[in-house]
Amino acid sequence: MSAEGDLELVRGLVGAALASLEASRSRIDDLNVYPVPDGDTGTNLTLTVRAVAETVASAEAGDRPALAHAVARSALMGARGNSGVILSQIVRGVADVLAEATNGIGPPLAARALRGASDAAYRAVRRPVEGTMLSVIRELAEEAERRAVEPQPLGDLLVELVRHGDEAVARTPEQLDVLREAGVVDAGGAGLVELLRGLAGAVTGEAVSAAPAAVASPGPDAIHLEQSRYRYCTVFVVEGDALDRDELEAQLDAFGDSLVVVGDEAALKVHVHTDDPGVALSLGTAVGTIEGVEIANMHEQQEQRKRRLSLVPSTRAKSGVVAVVAGEGNRRLFETLAEPVGTIRVVAGGQIANPSTAELVAALEALEADEAIILPNNPNVRLAAEHAAEQLEWRPAEIVPTESIPAGLAALVAYDGTRGAAENAAEMAGAAAAVATGEVTRASRDVELNGLAIRSGDWLGLADGEAVAGGDDFADVTFGVVTRLLVQPRALLTLLTGAEPPPLDGLLERLAAAYPELEVEVHEGGQPHYPLLLGAE
Amino acid sequence: MEAGQALSSRLGRITISSEAIAQIVAETAAECYGVVGMKGSLRGQLARARGRPRGIEIGRDGGEVTVDLHVVVEYGLNLAEVASSVSNRVAYEVERLTGLSVRAVEVHVDDVRTGGK
Repeated sequence: MSAEGDLELVRGLVGAALASLEASRSRIDDLNVYPVPDGDTGTNLTLTVRAVAETVASAEAGDRPALAHAVARSALMGARGNSGVILSQIVRGVADVLAEATNGIGPPLAARALRGASDAAYRAVRRPVEGTMLSVIRELAEEAERRAVEPQPLGDLLVELVRHGDEAVARTPEQLDVLREAGVVDAGGAGLVELLRGLAGAVTGEAVSAAPAAVASPGPDAIHLEQSRYRYCTVFVVEGDALDRDELEAQLDAFGDSLVVVGDEAALKVHVHTDDPGVALSLGTAVGTIEGVEIANMHEQQEQRKRRLSLVPSTRAKSGVVAVVAGEGNRRLFETLAEPVGTIRVVAGGQIANPSTAELVAALEALEADEAIILPNNPNVRLAAEHAAEQLEWRPAEIVPTESIPAGLAALVAYDGTRGAAENAAEMAGAAAAVATGEVTRASRDVELNGLAIRSGDWLGLADGEAVAGGDDFADVTFGVVTRLLVQPRALLTLLTGAEPPPLDGLLERLAAAYPELEVEVHEGGQPHYPLLLGAE
Repeated sequence: MEAGQALSSRLGRITISSEAIAQIVAETAAECYGVVGMKGSLRGQLARARGRPRGIEIGRDGGEVTVDLHVVVEYGLNLAEVASSVSNRVAYEVERLTGLSVRAVEVHVDDVRTGGK
């Protein structure tokens, strides 16, 4: 097909999808209770598709990859709201597959496009929630793959997919509690099927049967989605004759909130959140007979969820860390950082006192994890770490070649014991590389370094291993180091004080004055030889 | 531990700790579309080590809560929309589950993740 033909086809398809969504927009808005019940899903989806329609309306004919790129990009830029963002990924997945097509679109290609859409959509969420747009696009992809093996016109396949999509949407309340409680189907999923219905209609040339029997809009039960300051959800029916709805409502109003009283003179259904269900029931029995009483403790439900949220999994770590650290305070920092997310063994050592390979092997052996990561935290320890890793046969060990304690701490921030060693090592190395590190020590003899004449006993400041400042004033020297570390803007400066604690007071004030935006943290590191270690990130 | 803001009830005060709020934020953020990870400074990490999830700082001001949240978002998504969805969802869930009012949710997109899976 010509480039002009492709463009016309895409314009037609997008226009049909948009028209179908527009028609259902307010119904979909009404369904929206998840993730936030703000009633805008239909609007957001419509606006996102409209952005694509505007782009293709003004686009010039080009090759397929260029057209696909323009469509994907306009969905990305025009994405509105959570559902719009998900839709933009779905569009991108479809566009990426169709961009490669050289002929017409048949069922096998359509199935691949939907699979691409589903994969793209799932890739962007850490914990996918079932019963949403995500599960609907996945089920559409699965169904398309099942059906694509039989030869058939594309239109027939799309009509079948719309039907299957309607079923998938109808199942969402079984998958997501918040939908069932509100008595609705998922809004995003419903919108996605409406979009597909428009596409199917455009391809077959005839409208595809309307949405399944209008799903109820959120009923009084949706009220439960809101936190109530009252404890008990109380529901009952009052039967009698000449019941006065307004009067009963006014009486109940004084005892709670989320009040709904519906019905007629012969029967009223009451729903109220109250701390005293007995009073509510008494008001009912005063005017008639009550039945169908249901009282639920809402706070208990919320407590259960809160308890569930605070449970800490106590499973064995997939990977653990062995770190070579000097100083008792630094050891505690390493342990404090690693233990909540995994496990760590700290081996004492550093610049002067390098640990032996045997000590490292012993620590690696003792690690309660399947795989290991080694943080040498000093260039002189790296070789021993490599030897130790080689000697360890049954446990894969990765080395993150950190050259300082601050770099090791930064690496540890990226550690997550539920991941394997290789994956952790890659993330941790990246985190360590992002930190600029410095050291302040005392010169042990007269030296000239980088043009700095330094006398024995003077303060010597190093930034990333290079001498940058020297002199007899600690604050001056340290300030010189900090200036170097902050050549690139940094948000956070971590100071680790040594066994010989440095005079920090004047320094902190100068830093605050010179870098008002910089956050400065001071920890007692306790390392020998270096009164101060610095890390800037 | 800082005391949570009190909700008055007939039987006495109910307090909700910042740690509990941070847990709710962490659970919620992990489910938000586009969020593929959480980040935190060393300070945030140390806070987490004291019982809070990573990349989350909770501020309290009278009866109101502020949330600072550091996230990693999948490459190729509209960051402004993702951040705004995360902010809405977190505010909604915290208010729904705690009854406290949320004054602000600051979402910091610290990084984007590229290269699939």
